[in-house]
Amino acid sequence: MIGVYDFNGHYEWTFAWLQRRGGLKLLREYWDEAIHRDAQRHAANLIRRKGIKGMQAYWGHSLKQEGGSHHTTATETVFRLDMHDCPSKGFLIRNQLQQYADYCDHCMGWIGPMLRQAGFVIDHQHNHAGQCWWEMRRASDTSPPSSPGELSGNHDVRLGSNWKRKNHDLDSYSRANGPNQKKSQA
Amino acid sequence: MMTSPLPYQDEKAPGAADFYFAINATFRFVEQRFGDAGLRRYWTELGHDYFAPVTERWKTRGLPGVAEYWRAFFAAEPGAKVEVVEAHDVVRLEVKACPAIGHLRTHGRAIAPRFCQHCYFVSEAMAEPTGLAVRVAGGNGSCCQTFLRRDATVPEQDLSQIKEAA
Repeated sequence: MIGVYDFNGHYEWTFAWLQRRGGLKLLREYWDEAIHRDAQRHAANLIRRKGIKGMQAYWGHSLKQEGGSHHTTATETVFRLDMHDCPSKGFLIRNQLQQYADYCDHCMGWIGPMLRQAGFVIDHQHNHAGQCWWEMRRASDTSPPSSPGELSGNHDVRLGSNWKRKNHDLDSYSRANGPNQKKSQA
Repeated sequence: MMTSPLPYQDEKAPGAADFYFAINATFRFVEQRFGDAGLRRYWTELGHDYFAPVTERWKTRGLPGVAEYWRAFFAAEPGAKVEVVEAHDVVRLEVKACPAIGHLRTHGRAIAPRFCQHCYFVSEAMAEPTGLAVRVAGGNGSCCQTFLRRDATVPEQDLSQIKEAA
């Protein structure tokens, strides 16, 4: 049996298996079809119906179950997630598992299309070391992402000394809904 | 050399049960794209490659290592009720309540019909290089998985003995 205690390990292994067989196209279809529309359909339904309150409910449940360390901030117009210690990426780092180039892309791979359907866009950065931040706003809201500390105060992951590490370039997304919209920066 | 029977360590125990949704969805996706043969290939390569550290431990520990692994594994799976029985030249997993089927069923998820076959294909790929084999009977929530020495008297796995999940 394959189980959930090491789910992130065989999930990440599967990314590379799919990419070898069908390239990035197949892998992105997997994130959208299998993860967004099938496995995480409860999240999609909740967020489509309740918007930001649905995001609070979904990530409140899932991140409590998965562990790690994070902080969420919600207003009437934006949902922000500061991930300080990603349980998934952390598992891979601790166990020295890497088959696919950037595991962190899978989040945008399923969350991006899910929020597009719900009418939201995403500003996001990850540092490949288990830290990232997300801001989700209505697509009609053209506000730029917050400056560090503006929305989540001291919980803002960008204020931490570990945010920009040597050899861990930041990947950035602006008003995105898919992994093909990534911009890398040194 | 790993000291735990499990090749990969996490800070939490047990694992997050909602990940069974993704395992089930992955099987469905791979089968839709690559057919039954492709799904079997996925499981077999997963067993050979990702689980290679388990196979290495079984090579040195033999059947006692098989029992150690599954005891530790099911202790980390939420909702599992499994007895690991060590008998003469055999390790038997008596799965009273499969944690995956139970969680998927509780949450009203459509279960990939061949879900239970993954236990055979993945474990057989893990066991084969060690001179062991696995034979599975039952499924859809409870089953018996027998690990034994691979020799000419061990019959091929009869896939009809593995129930479709629903």
